[in-house]
Amino acid sequence: MRRLIPIVAVVLYLFPLHVEAQSYKTETGHAEFESEVPLHTFTGISDHLVGLIDLSDSTVDFYIDMNTFDTGINKRDKDMRRTLETDKYPFAEFFGKLVSNFDTTTNQPQQVTVRGEFTIHGVTQDLELTGTLQKTADGLKVKASWTLNIEEYDIEPPGILFYRVDENQDIQIEATLTPIESDTDA
Amino acid sequence: MLKKTTLLFTLLIFISFSARAQMERERVVQEGPVEETFWAPGLIGMSTVEVIGHKNINATIMHSFGLINDEPLHNFLGMDFGASVRLGIDYGITDNWSLGVGRSSPQKQYDFRTKYALFRQTTTDNVPLSITLKGDMGIDTNKNGYSFGDRLNFFASANVARKFNDQLSLQVSPMISHFNTVFTGEEKTHFALGLAGEYHISDRYALMAEYLPVLGERSEGTANAFSVGLNIETGGHVFQLFLKTSDWHTEQHIIAQNDDKFWDGDIRFGFNVNRIFWTGEKQ
Repeated sequence: MRRLIPIVAVVLYLFPLHVEAQSYKTETGHAEFESEVPLHTFTGISDHLVGLIDLSDSTVDFYIDMNTFDTGINKRDKDMRRTLETDKYPFAEFFGKLVSNFDTTTNQPQQVTVRGEFTIHGVTQDLELTGTLQKTADGLKVKASWTLNIEEYDIEPPGILFYRVDENQDIQIEATLTPIESDTDA
Repeated sequence: MLKKTTLLFTLLIFISFSARAQMERERVVQEGPVEETFWAPGLIGMSTVEVIGHKNINATIMHSFGLINDEPLHNFLGMDFGASVRLGIDYGITDNWSLGVGRSSPQKQYDFRTKYALFRQTTTDNVPLSITLKGDMGIDTNKNGYSFGDRLNFFASANVARKFNDQLSLQVSPMISHFNTVFTGEEKTHFALGLAGEYHISDRYALMAEYLPVLGERSEGTANAFSVGLNIETGGHVFQLFLKTSDWHTEQHIIAQNDDKFWDGDIRFGFNVNRIFWTGEKQ
């Protein structure tokens, strides 16, 4: 019996996912930002938001390749990438924990709070967000929005000659995360 | 020993459960057309391979002034002669096809043009060149008694370009112009080989030049047009400041109706303003 203990331990260590439930992931989440310049606003959208939520340890991990944002005008996209220095800092990312309760027994949207670190343009700041999380037939549906002051991340609002982009950008994300396949085995 | 082993593995299991590491960050691989071989759909007078995006409008205001070498101080470097102006808009029907209309002050000419991208250089270099076809039809609306057909002039070119790196793009454009009506002794049709280049000296500034040598027969006195200038990219606008020979802004006239010689000092100052607008749903 005592010999079996390390063997079981090795097996459990090598195949932890089979007992680790409640992990959800997406690679096609939706993210958008709205920018204001004098006389009009424009929106950048991307459907390449990657996200992982692990309810077993409350991990919340999201990132997006900034080059995937599309504002409708190539020239404006290029200017955005230049401003964000996406060659040097390709990702915007959040890594933190779910700090409020989430009841997995109901299918109703629930307000939840996450706390962690948000990084963009190579600058990391603490961030606490409130959004909604909902258990659905497909997995977990997440929605969140907040206002990002880009100057806090050393991003200089582009402005030359006639216009200047507002430093406050409204961010929204929406994604449905599906159970990680191996979790369903558990 | 057994106890230590058990403890170690228990510890490892505990760690694997309690601390999930960040996902590995992976960039999205996007193979697609090379962006901005040139900063604008037109250089100084020549069209570039650059096409206008779907549902985008490119508004262009083109100016050139009088000859600088004609009593430069008295005529304020040609400014006193007034400007030859073309106002135009082009609309992206698709990401590869645009239609445009313009109005030039010389000969009170209206022109209708189209550009179609046959190939676009790709980021992975599977397609190493961009090739666009461009056509333009001009209508002289002067009060001169000409019939409608006599007022027409035409232009076609195949623009072949490559963006070699983030700094340098070069273009070669075989082109043809035709005028239904010319003065006695002039050629109705001219062939030329347009050469253009843009060199980025920073994210905001780029040098540019274009040369349009006529090949074969040409009307007497017709000189090869040459221009050199500076692009200023502001994010919303592309300003183009230049020194050029021809006071025309349509290529059929630039190659067939220019008798000014750059290297003899027949130079004009001019500038273009390009502005792109999005006309689709709010985005």
